[in-house]
Amino acid sequence: MATDAIDAWTDPVSTHSQGFQDEVLALKQRRADAVDKFAQVGFPGRKHEEWRYTPLKSIASGPCSALLERSGSLLDRELLPVDAERVARIVIDNGEYRDDLSDLSAVSDHVQVQSLASMRREHPEQLSEHLARSFPADDHPFHCLSDALLDDGVFIGVAPMSDVDGEVAAIHIIHYLDGSKGPGSAHTTGLLHIAKGARIRLIEEIHCQGEVLGNIRWGVDLAEGSDVHRIRAFRSGCASIFHGSRVIQQQDSRFEDVFTCAGADLVRNEIHVLHEGSGCHAELLGAYVACGSEHIDNHTTLDHLVEDCTSREVYRGVLSGRSRGVFSGMIHVHEGAQRTDAVQSNDTILLSGAAEADSRPRLEIYADDVKCTHGATVGELDEDALFYLRSRGISLGQARRMLVRAFISEILVATGSEVLSDFIIEELQQAIDVAEEASS
Amino acid sequence: MSGKKEKQMLEIKGLHASVEGTEILKGLDLEVGAGEVHAIMGPNGSGKSTLANVLAGREEYQVDSGTVKYNGLDLLELAADERACEGIFMAFQYPVSIPGISNAYFLRTALNALRRYRDESEIDAVDFLELVRSRMELVGMDQKLLQRAVNDGFSGGEKKRNEILQMAVLDPKLSILDETDSGLDIDALRVVAAGVNALRTEDRSFIIVTHYQRLLDHIVPDRVHVLSGGRIVRSGGKDLALELEKEGYSWLEADDAKAGSGA
Repeated sequence: MATDAIDAWTDPVSTHSQGFQDEVLALKQRRADAVDKFAQVGFPGRKHEEWRYTPLKSIASGPCSALLERSGSLLDRELLPVDAERVARIVIDNGEYRDDLSDLSAVSDHVQVQSLASMRREHPEQLSEHLARSFPADDHPFHCLSDALLDDGVFIGVAPMSDVDGEVAAIHIIHYLDGSKGPGSAHTTGLLHIAKGARIRLIEEIHCQGEVLGNIRWGVDLAEGSDVHRIRAFRSGCASIFHGSRVIQQQDSRFEDVFTCAGADLVRNEIHVLHEGSGCHAELLGAYVACGSEHIDNHTTLDHLVEDCTSREVYRGVLSGRSRGVFSGMIHVHEGAQRTDAVQSNDTILLSGAAEADSRPRLEIYADDVKCTHGATVGELDEDALFYLRSRGISLGQARRMLVRAFISEILVATGSEVLSDFIIEELQQAIDVAEEASS
Repeated sequence: MSGKKEKQMLEIKGLHASVEGTEILKGLDLEVGAGEVHAIMGPNGSGKSTLANVLAGREEYQVDSGTVKYNGLDLLELAADERACEGIFMAFQYPVSIPGISNAYFLRTALNALRRYRDESEIDAVDFLELVRSRMELVGMDQKLLQRAVNDGFSGGEKKRNEILQMAVLDPKLSILDETDSGLDIDALRVVAAGVNALRTEDRSFIIVTHYQRLLDHIVPDRVHVLSGGRIVRSGGKDLALELEKEGYSWLEADDAKAGSGA
């Protein structure tokens, strides 16, 4: 990466990071290390193996290196329909946890929610420990930024018995990234700690306005027998989003993630799951739509560290225009992780000849009794299925819509809510319709 | 029933068609009157399925010359969905499965497409369910299959019944059954036949494409045609099917050889 590109970020990052003076040593050190590391590595170019398919040039050139300020009024957007669920609401506005707009009355005392800013002040040692565990130092540019600029976000702790009347506690997290006053970035850290046997359902959505970079990372810690069901919706019109999760699972825990994206300039969706206890399951699902010159990059790593764990990954993309979809999935079965069962698949429908899909399954297996499968398909809509529908009187246009919808809806079933699923499918479908109309 | 007296529904003249550059139909003539059941028999590779697919409007099948008139319309000018809207239905030899679309949603969408084409209002959910349930009974189909994805995980017999169910719901004028009997046990065969027989009326016609005679024990045809080398080489009454069953298709090869040396 060119030096001026690094300079576009290093000075602002260094300046911002000095705004945090009275910190405990551990946090201060972490911040300083991250500033130094970022100054060294900056945003990697295409030669870096992990970033080969993610064009960071436009981010690196610096328009968003300023930090977004609290917006005057929230973006007026239609939110996901979660009203049917007993759900708490957390609003994160340009990276700032908004106490005044969040509503935690729906969750019981078993769920502890605290802004990261207040945690930084009140329990800095604890925070520092959590960060060290969830985000070990590395040269990941967005993690470096998150550490260097660590300011706000949210800590969610879920104690067991969080089921009230059999209902799982649910939290709706809304990120607003509003660049109407000028481009900028927001760096948000979320920590999710689920105690033994506890369960939680998270519904996270992201809204953007203008030229913004959202850098969101989650450290998820699942104790024995716990269960996290997370749905993420990158709502239509998103700008540049890095969203990374590092998920550590103990024995018999279950993590399920349903990622959806209705269009964004650039998305890097990263999930790293570590199975530290046996009997874990991770389910990573994704349905995304890209149009124009949008770029969606899914990057998953499954570390199967111990025996008898399973994982299933299914990512489905619909690409039109000159958009690009990437799936890069690493399954790492470590020595001793016998009877691992890991399934991975990535299917892409190309609606235009200029769209492009890259699928890179990667397996590293150091145990002998394992089942690992991966498959990738890239193609147009199934001609036989199209003819079948048309032979029953359904027009070509409607048949195409039906097949695209079917393709996506198989993923959305996993949201566990028909209302939510229908809403998201409709939004993805609309993005496709607009693109198809523009091209026809 | 005699074809001549009836109003003609389908008139095929000199039809030549090819698939991927290979000519399959080589001058086929066929007339089907309203209310008639015609069986098309013949050895493998004779062009039976090609004929069915050409009539249904599959684009991979290229029509090189000839005409197909259907109720006064130039059928070859119509797209597959328009043909369906005009009342043509093909029961597929190999029905495709479509994960993610429920059978009920598929059927209702198709039925409404036909209704819109006829400037009728869309059917409401209650009337639709009532209609489908009665038709499912007719073809002896498990009601559970309605909520399942189209043909997804269906057994061979279930897929074929599903084809007949669609036929019964969509109520076509001309139904083309492309080897619907293949891979069916005798019970399923009876069900398929009963479905067709229940739909036989004066204004519905059927073309039954089959390799074997056994389906014709249950659906008695008005006319039987033997297709060979892309043309109809013999036509007759229902007894022709029995004759073919006895003699097989080997006599055709002899005829072909003669025709070949004569040309």
